[in-house]
Amino acid sequence: MAGTQNRIRAQGPGTARKLTIKPLKSKPKLPEDFETTTWKKLQHAVHAVHGKQPVTVSLEELYRAVEDMCLHKMADRLYANLQQECNTHISAELEKLASSQTIDPVLFLQHMGNCWHDHTSQMLTIRSIFLYLDRTYVISTTGVRSLFEMGLQLFRTHLASHPQVERKTVQGLLQLIKAERQGETVDRTLLKHLLRMFTSLNIYADGFEQPFLEQTAQFYAAEGIQYMQETDVADYLLHSEKRLGEEYERCQQYLDSSTRKALVHAVERQLLEKHMPTILEKGYDALMAEKRVPDLGRLYSLCARIHALEALKQSFREYIKKTGITMIMDEEKDKDMVNLLLEMKANLDTVLHQAFQHNEQFANAMKDAFEHFINQRQNKPAELIAKFIDAELKAGNKGQTDDELEVRLDKALILFRYISGKDVFEAFYKKDLAKRLLLGKSASTDSEKNMITKLKTECGSQFTNKLEGMFKDIDLSKDIMTSFRQAKAVQAKLTDGLDMNVNILTSGYWPTYPTVDAKLPLELNHYQEVFKAFYLSKHSGRRLVWHNSLGTCIVTAHFPKGKKELSVSLFQTVVLTLFNDADSLTFAEIQEASGIEEKELKRTLQSLACGKVRVLLKEPKGREVDSGDTFLFNEAFVASLYRIKINSIQLKETVEENKKTNDQVIQDRQYQIDAAIVRIMKTRKTLSHKLLVSELLVMLKFPIKASDLKKRIESLIDREYLERDEANQNVYNYLA
Amino acid sequence: MGFNVEIKQWRAVAAWTWNAGDDVCGICRMPFDGCPPDGKYPGDDSPVVWGVCGHAFHLQCITKWLSAQTEQRCPFCRRPWEFKAAATAPVQEEPVTIQPQPHALQLPR
Repeated sequence: MAGTQNRIRAQGPGTARKLTIKPLKSKPKLPEDFETTTWKKLQHAVHAVHGKQPVTVSLEELYRAVEDMCLHKMADRLYANLQQECNTHISAELEKLASSQTIDPVLFLQHMGNCWHDHTSQMLTIRSIFLYLDRTYVISTTGVRSLFEMGLQLFRTHLASHPQVERKTVQGLLQLIKAERQGETVDRTLLKHLLRMFTSLNIYADGFEQPFLEQTAQFYAAEGIQYMQETDVADYLLHSEKRLGEEYERCQQYLDSSTRKALVHAVERQLLEKHMPTILEKGYDALMAEKRVPDLGRLYSLCARIHALEALKQSFREYIKKTGITMIMDEEKDKDMVNLLLEMKANLDTVLHQAFQHNEQFANAMKDAFEHFINQRQNKPAELIAKFIDAELKAGNKGQTDDELEVRLDKALILFRYISGKDVFEAFYKKDLAKRLLLGKSASTDSEKNMITKLKTECGSQFTNKLEGMFKDIDLSKDIMTSFRQAKAVQAKLTDGLDMNVNILTSGYWPTYPTVDAKLPLELNHYQEVFKAFYLSKHSGRRLVWHNSLGTCIVTAHFPKGKKELSVSLFQTVVLTLFNDADSLTFAEIQEASGIEEKELKRTLQSLACGKVRVLLKEPKGREVDSGDTFLFNEAFVASLYRIKINSIQLKETVEENKKTNDQVIQDRQYQIDAAIVRIMKTRKTLSHKLLVSELLVMLKFPIKASDLKKRIESLIDREYLERDEANQNVYNYLA
Repeated sequence: MGFNVEIKQWRAVAAWTWNAGDDVCGICRMPFDGCPPDGKYPGDDSPVVWGVCGHAFHLQCITKWLSAQTEQRCPFCRRPWEFKAAATAPVQEEPVTIQPQPHALQLPR
């Protein structure tokens, strides 16, 4: 502090004293032998490092020596000298390795590893000593390698001049990796170390990677062939997946990351691509049949790797077609067909979702396959799906909640979606719906209407118009019955205390029923007439036809052992009332008195005398009714319940009924074909056969054979809607 | 003696059709019980009407026909077209015992 004040004082004005620096009288000189001695010192140290001896001089002193030499512009010579030293050393080291007699490749690898390790660590020490050189001379001079680089370069050159060393190293490495692939434990650190050497020396790709990939391909080619023969497909897939995992791990553990792609590809190629066709052909169906979802999932992801999903999809599709067709064509299994199909669908869905990752293309393939096979058999699947739904919607189908019912209906609808002949479904659905509605067998109106809504969304309102009309008729009938009961003048004529309920059908909506005549009991006849008059008075311009075959009654019957209430069909009622006046009647007598057609009467009598509940006895006994039989009132009839249902024959579908429904569909199709042909020809006037057929196939929504079309065209020519062109027989003209 | 069967309840089924003699409408050639080409539903929604000349058509068909003609004539017999009142439509059933409901069918005027 005091000093500072003095200086301020000294700087006062006037007497300023100048400070001058004079040059040295003689320039300071380096000692003559500076370069030689300093290099000697350094050389000594380098030798010590190479010889793994302790360095006698402190590292700092050495560093300064380097710095001094550089400052005195001796850097280039210093660099050259150092390079010379390293060269000699590396050359000697590799010479040693080359001449080593070690045959065991692993041992040799260890030598090689040590040699490399020494080289790198020594080069690092040398670099620390010569750091100043590395930082100044090397950086400012072009074409000179950094010290470490220089070391690598020298190592590379000498290694190249001893190819047997490199070859042995590579062989050793490959042998180790192969051993590891065969399940042995190997020194991964050594592997990693040596492979890093290859990378550092920039000879990884050519020196190691190429032979390595070749060996890999060989190894897995052999393994692929062997395993394909020895194991089943599932195990093979598992093994392949394991192998791929191992190779990935290998890349992480010691291989250069650039190898991964090529390596994985080689494995995929040898283990998967080459064998995938065989795998799919040999094992796919079994995997599907046994529902081995995890294995299928594995197959999927492996196929995805090698871009073989298309082939897998194909197998998937073929499998569905194959199993589907056998299921569909087996007539003995018709009863269970829908359930079997649903089960199959559910299994396939599981596979699709859990194994095939919801792949949309696979879902489409499944749809294709279903559409293909389900339409291989004409009409029957559609009919059975309709019946399946009927069974679900029928009363007495207890034990399932509304939600469960909904799920089952939805599933059935999925199958329905695959059907191309939807008109068959419609016909059978309509027939069954009619029975459910008219015989009061429908479980719930809500479920019924729900189902109609589903069909509407599926096929449009055109499809459900008539079905909805049927519900409308039922509702209208209720209204009519209400006003019928309220009409006093009418009721005055009805005194028997019979509760009459009529469902009035609009003919166009409902299936057509054959009229089966019967001589009704007088009271019923009277009721019928009164109602008819009432109805026609409300609705003029109409005709009313009674469908006796659909009528049902509840009657009381007095048996010696007690009074029972029977739920029976109208025909059964007609037969039973005959026994009010007689204990025993022959078939002929019953036929005469009831006026029921023979076949229908046989069915009726069979249900009364041969079924579970036998209110009549038949002479002679037997399961079938013959026109010579005699029937007796069953006096000994007993039943635990008061109410007994014996009208199930109405619900059952007869062979004739089935045939009629099918025929109706065929008939309708013919009308549709005719209409379509006329419509097309009316706009086109003239069209060749080929074009007409192709337009028809687009327009018509059900499966048709070209031969059927030909028949319809011929029929239209006969009816003079069309004519063949005189010049060309294959061309049709429209006749207005 | 016998069952002594008594009928307590009867659920009968009847179907109605248009009482129009011919099966098909002379205009659209579709059955009377079906729909005309533009109709969606058969039955009540596709009513059948009679002219005083006695010929019957779907209501939709004859209205369309008449609106396209300058002279209102029956397409069959060329006699002037006039709708027959509903109550007198050619239904020859048993005499009705209760009060008739005159407007069972709504006809355009």
